Amino acid sequence: MEDRPLSPHIQIYKWHISSLVSISHRITGIINFFAITLICIWFALMLLGESNYQIIKIFLETFLGKFILIGITWSFSFQMLSEVRHLIMDLGYGFELQTTKITGLLVIFGSIVLTILIYFIGRGLI
Amino acid sequence: MVQINLPKNSEVKKGKYYKDKTGSKNLRKINIYRWDPSTEENPRIDTYEVDMDNCPSKVLDILNKIKNEIDPTIAYRRSCAHGVCGSCAMNMGGKNGLACTTPHAEIDGDIDIYPLPHLKVKKDLIGDLDGLYKQYQSIEPWLKNNSTKQTTEIYQSKEDRAKLDGAYECIMCACCSTSCPSYWWNGDKYLGPAVLLQAYRWIIDSRDEERKARLKKVSDELKLYRCHTILNCTNACPKGLNPAKAIAEIKKMLATANV
Repeated sequence: MEDRPLSPHIQIYKWHISSLVSISHRITGIINFFAITLICIWFALMLLGESNYQIIKIFLETFLGKFILIGITWSFSFQMLSEVRHLIMDLGYGFELQTTKITGLLVIFGSIVLTILIYFIGRGLI
Repeated sequence: MVQINLPKNSEVKKGKYYKDKTGSKNLRKINIYRWDPSTEENPRIDTYEVDMDNCPSKVLDILNKIKNEIDPTIAYRRSCAHGVCGSCAMNMGGKNGLACTTPHAEIDGDIDIYPLPHLKVKKDLIGDLDGLYKQYQSIEPWLKNNSTKQTTEIYQSKEDRAKLDGAYECIMCACCSTSCPSYWWNGDKYLGPAVLLQAYRWIIDSRDEERKARLKKVSDELKLYRCHTILNCTNACPKGLNPAKAIAEIKKMLATANV
């Protein structure tokens, strides 16, 4: 009986904090991979002349440019905090259900707070 | 490999609707996954209206009520009804658990009941667990002692015995393994939380003499390290055990021990 159906899996399984943080960790990892490449290209272009710098500057001051910059900042913040969470878990700590929920929430809200902090520090507001 | 969509023969269709005949005011809609191997049809979701005034508190009670009073064709596994045998493991309200210990009051709205995720369905709520049992067999879940002369009991200190707490209570219901996305995508090679918890149970047993060989055996990119601490397993375990921690402990032993 090879034509047996496969029971539904990801379509029906309920998300919870740990699984959300885990999948976001992967997604932000991929985003960061491209973000670092993008930043390297910007730097390389800047080395090639002042006019390039002007173009990048104009781009980064548009809404899309700002969105990308803030997005990258959040993605890096999230990845970093989540990585710390994973390091602690690799040492064998923080596996109790309640703890995983708290550390998961810390990663989510921490990444937002960190993004805002970096934004303010970058703007010279703090 | 990661396969988000269900294969064509597994797509779930809308099924029959069983209207309430008791005239009760306290009704709940129960959506149940159905698949009949004797037909060529795709799986479907049948909806039952159940009179909750005359139904005990657990999800298994609802299933029994439907089977006894509404539709006797529905198939599911159950045995002890006390959370000991692990037969009635299924997916209720999007979460794996034992139907006999899950109160239906804890599920909001209509109750969706599916078989354990990502298994080949045998009929209705019954999934094929053969693969998992084969993997369980592969870790050789029995005490290994090389001494042939020992005729007395092998003593164990209280501390060593305490190490087994949280590992020996597992009833192999497969709630954890079938909740794990890594196991969904790599179930043929990755051992999964249930089997790894049992592997851990024999690795840390002070009476077992094959500790190193056992560690070596699970030390494999696919068998063990597909665990990415998603923690669906620990969230699903109906016995309150922590397979994720056991897997982390195995990884730690492998990182520190000389095997």
